Amino acid sequence: MSDPFNMDRRGLLQRALVLAGATAAAGFSPAALAKAAAKDKPSLDPASFALLSAIADTIIPRTESPGAVDARVPAKFDALLVNWASPERRVELTEAMNAIDRAAKEQQGELFAKLTPEKRKELLVAYDKAALKPVARKDKLAGMRAMMAGPSVADPGYAKMRELLILLYYYSEEALTTELVYEHSPGGWTPSVKVTPETRATGGLGMF
Amino acid sequence: MFDAIVVGSGMSGGISAKELCERGLKVLVIERGRKLVHGESYTDNLQPWEVPNAGMVPEEDLARQYKIQGNSFITSPTQQYWVRDDENPYITPENKPFDWIRGYHLGGRSIMWGRQTYRLSAQDFEANAKDGHGSDWPIRYDDLAPWYSHIEKFIGVAGSQEGLPQLPDGDFLPAFALNDGELQFKAAIEKAFPGRKVIPGRVANLSKAQPHHEELGRMDCQARSLCDRGCTYGAYHSSLSSSLPAAERTGNLTIVTDAIVHSLIHDPKTGKITGVRTIDQNTKAGNTYEAKIVFLNASTIGTAQILLNSRSEAMPRGLANSSDMVGRHLMDHLFALSIAGLIPNGPNTFYHGRRPTGLYIPRFRNVTEPGDFLRGYGYQGGVSRMSWRSAIGQPGIGAELKARTSKLGPWFTYISGFGEMLPNPENRVTLSATKVDQWGIPLVEVNCAHGPNEQKMAKQILEDGKAMIQAAGGFVVSVADAPGTPGLGIHEMGTACMGKDPKTSVLNKYNQAHDVPNLFITDGAAMASGGCQNPSLTYMALSARAAHHATEFLKEGKL
Repeated sequence: MSDPFNMDRRGLLQRALVLAGATAAAGFSPAALAKAAAKDKPSLDPASFALLSAIADTIIPRTESPGAVDARVPAKFDALLVNWASPERRVELTEAMNAIDRAAKEQQGELFAKLTPEKRKELLVAYDKAALKPVARKDKLAGMRAMMAGPSVADPGYAKMRELLILLYYYSEEALTTELVYEHSPGGWTPSVKVTPETRATGGLGMF
Repeated sequence: MFDAIVVGSGMSGGISAKELCERGLKVLVIERGRKLVHGESYTDNLQPWEVPNAGMVPEEDLARQYKIQGNSFITSPTQQYWVRDDENPYITPENKPFDWIRGYHLGGRSIMWGRQTYRLSAQDFEANAKDGHGSDWPIRYDDLAPWYSHIEKFIGVAGSQEGLPQLPDGDFLPAFALNDGELQFKAAIEKAFPGRKVIPGRVANLSKAQPHHEELGRMDCQARSLCDRGCTYGAYHSSLSSSLPAAERTGNLTIVTDAIVHSLIHDPKTGKITGVRTIDQNTKAGNTYEAKIVFLNASTIGTAQILLNSRSEAMPRGLANSSDMVGRHLMDHLFALSIAGLIPNGPNTFYHGRRPTGLYIPRFRNVTEPGDFLRGYGYQGGVSRMSWRSAIGQPGIGAELKARTSKLGPWFTYISGFGEMLPNPENRVTLSATKVDQWGIPLVEVNCAHGPNEQKMAKQILEDGKAMIQAAGGFVVSVADAPGTPGLGIHEMGTACMGKDPKTSVLNKYNQAHDVPNLFITDGAAMASGGCQNPSLTYMALSARAAHHATEFLKEGKL
């Protein structure tokens, strides 16, 4: 499904990235992450925000399209910590971040944000796989609550942090005009559309 | 003095007001909640990136303020529509929860409804008489059929003509057609299970607005699927977009908001209601409004609360309660019995737009196939391409994650059963003898549970659902294996049931209280049984029919 409006947006964003000196698939350098942190004035301390930015950038890096840092996902995540998360959740999420830092220190001898993008990815690919490994459910959820909660995983704190980063990215204007297609007002329902090589998945807040 | 007072401005109250106004009556609508303005009060124009907290209600608000509502569909852009549970308490026995889902504002839950719109059938109106549960409906399908048509035309219902006796056709706008994945699913189900049908969900969204819709400022559905935020296009029927504007243009409508009805005033000499006592929700000031007739449309539990709180020397058990049936026979639909599956060999096509409905599988148990329980169930659901959200649960990061999410996913199906609860007099609403709310009104106590028939039905819903997904070439990936808490279906019904016998029912065939001739009740409370279909259309049809008869009775000097 082609969408000239969104294709134009995509082109504009691509050009903006080039003008900003971005190099596709390279990831943000530690210095660039620190600069982004300074700009956003987060509630997290600078080191924690740099860690958060490095995690977000590693999970959803800039490629041919904007990444999580381009979409200000770290700042939005920081806002969720303040405006949405309960105290228990804040602890769970910040602990999930800190656990990655500890793993980086143990495995690479350096803070996660100080690693090169390549090293960060290498570490987090394995970390992600282990953290999302399905495990037997410990809580007592049943029925629809269990269904909506999805499978129980080895590291629920990491899984929640990752989920929020992905949500924030795919709800962003940057993602919805490049990675996905989003039309706020499609204008009507067409039940069958031919799939072409240009067809992209659609986004938005709805479940489906 | 008004000709009529309508208590409540939601789904049934809006239609009661419209129908009474259009018949020339001066009507006062009393709404307990705040005023909402069509369009102005909605949040449908927020882009995904503008929605607060990525659509999530703050966790501490959920825990403290929305402990019950949080079990439903509340999101940050719709938070304004849901009552705060901490400010509007009610009581349930320990280990017997009932989730009372509410919206206190002008338009009530008609702003928040799922818009699925189905007629009850002849079989449904005969069910109580046939198996002996509940009071026999004093009307049959043919009595209500013309009023179903009347409402369908007015509100606009998109649907297909199917010729099924258990789900009568209506006066429909063009259906929102099934997508290719659903057509494949339909073909497989109907081949594997002759007698079962997969049809487009019937929905009160304007697939094609008619001139009488456009006169009210309503337009075609834009396929945004943002309905739960309120629709600035007026593309789905609500009291704000449709029924109240129709009432207002007659010049006969007065609306009072923020006025909580405390009780109705009964004159034992005449046997009639003379007025309605209210309390301002903000100032707590009392007021009394008078009218010749009263329509109670305060929602099933709210209506029972008002009747029970209107007890007097002449009616010590509560107004219109000589039968002791007020508050009894509380029903909901079995809900949240859902099955999800992947269909790996779906067609290589997509669709455009976010349709405001999905597919519907009409009842087949105890219709074309036997069941080891009474009554039956239907399914709502859909088949769609999996979205980027699948990335959330799957390992993988970086460019690979992005590449995966931007591609169309496989076809995914989700079907959820809606089953009929038997009318049971022990499932009931009463008033607390000791606890009152902040306005001094006794708290509602809700005592309701699924019985053995519902448990058997729930099991079969899941088994049939799994079998259908497998028959469609899919495999089941997830099952919600227990019914939702009663109330979560948000289809409360039955606390002032219609019936032929004043000793076993509250309302007669005109929705008129057996005990109080100028009192009419046309919300969910009136339902003698619930069928398995979403009930709002029936409330609206009963409201229009009762408004017609009430007006005739007034003209004839009978009231």
